[in-house]
Amino acid sequence: MPGSCEAAITLTGDLHARPAGSLAVAAAKFQSAVELVAGASTVDAKSVLAVMGLGATRGQRITVRAAGPDAQEAVTAMIGILAEATPVGG
Amino acid sequence: MSDEARVGIVLVSHSAALAEGTAEVAGQIGGGSVAIAPAGGMDDGGIGTSIARVRQAVRQADAGAGVVILPDLGSSVLTVRALLAEEDFPGPVALADAPFVEGAVAATVAAAAGGDVKAVLHAAEEARHARKL
Repeated sequence: MPGSCEAAITLTGDLHARPAGSLAVAAAKFQSAVELVAGASTVDAKSVLAVMGLGATRGQRITVRAAGPDAQEAVTAMIGILAEATPVGG
Repeated sequence: MSDEARVGIVLVSHSAALAEGTAEVAGQIGGGSVAIAPAGGMDDGGIGTSIARVRQAVRQADAGAGVVILPDLGSSVLTVRALLAEEDFPGPVALADAPFVEGAVAATVAAAAGGDVKAVLHAAEEARHARKL
């Protein structure tokens, strides 16, 4: 059953290339469309280059949006990676 | 994570250091589950491309799901085409028309996510549209 889901997190570190890769690999495994919103930019979470192009930094609010059959799981996974990949002081 | 074989990536550059460094960056970003084989420089260590090195890299990178090859510039493409014309590899082998570093990173991430040769090739070629700023 298709659905949509959204959650937000404040980054405690910069969104570097490695976490961007983890996000894109994880996002690609979901059927749902997954987007990251940072400020005025919205990007496809499945595109590592687009995620890196966000240039998201510590303190910035990132919203994760997903639409599709596994939207809830996708958002939970993305938030988990964003929280883990950007530790305090990192 | 599934245990299915991932598509391998071959990086063909005129410089061994460039191929190896790009493989290192893509491997870090892609999480290390993808075989990335650098094929840079001539057999004597000089600048150029070597059909023997590319052949060896394709064999090394193919885990059973096929390989996507990214060339850096000009005669890298000719070297790869010459190899593909003279040799049949067991799995699918595709040559990507893509920026070298961005394409390598995007292809590695697509392969890590379990994409097939077509999906990995598409990810590499889409990299030319990605804006850096």
